[in-house]
Amino acid sequence: MIAREENGDVALEIAQLRHMRWASWLEGTTLVALVFIAVPLKHLAGHASATALMGPVHGMAFLLYVWMLIQTISSGDWSRAEIVRALIAAFVPFGGFVNERFLRRKQAALARTGRSGEDSWGISG
Amino acid sequence: MGYLWLKALHVAAALTWIGGLFAASLTLRGLSAPAGSRAPGEQRMIEGVRRWDRCATTPAMLLLWGLGMTMAVEAGWFAAPWLMIKLAFVLGLSALHAALSGTLRRVARRADRRPPAFLRYAAPAIVASVLAIAILAVVKPF
Repeated sequence: MIAREENGDVALEIAQLRHMRWASWLEGTTLVALVFIAVPLKHLAGHASATALMGPVHGMAFLLYVWMLIQTISSGDWSRAEIVRALIAAFVPFGGFVNERFLRRKQAALARTGRSGEDSWGISG
Repeated sequence: MGYLWLKALHVAAALTWIGGLFAASLTLRGLSAPAGSRAPGEQRMIEGVRRWDRCATTPAMLLLWGLGMTMAVEAGWFAAPWLMIKLAFVLGLSALHAALSGTLRRVARRADRRPPAFLRYAAPAIVASVLAIAILAVVKPF
């Protein structure tokens, strides 16, 4: 019974990391599209509509990523270094893709060991 | 889609979202002490609120963001100070929602997990934010 519950916990955490990877990839892709496609189109070709479209799209992707990051941090056991790293990744072009690989490794490690890590602020009973 | 339709759906999404925030915050606040024990039915209630958060509250927040951004772009409100202040409150509530949602998942997994102390003030913070948002959106004082 306890083993089944623990398996369920690990499955939940793996699902959360999978969603985070998706959000990280989306954030990274829209940032690259904004910086390397929309901004040059605006300044070099005079297409202001490119940034008018990509700006809000990236804004939404960024919000979703930060929202999911706060949710994941609140539900899991992340170290301070991991949190800072994930936050910085959101502000650097291609950082989202590097972060996605980090999350993939974390997900694979969790699936391999089946351990959700140490609790950083929970109170033991 | 016309402005009135956008506004109606935006308000409906906001009401659903705020209702879900109250449900999550009051559920976490009402968790029985001491850590390590659960009152009968408490685990089922946590699971129910978590499911509601995933199926209704979070989609309502995403809809709220999308509709709000569409209305602001179409109406050219992004330069208005009232919208900037309202956005700050909405982002604060969104961050609070993420913390509540993650904490619900955390306490659902293990009975020895307790919510962080700052979430005790989540419900009053939601009331204050909703009041500010309603005044800013309806009166548009700045």
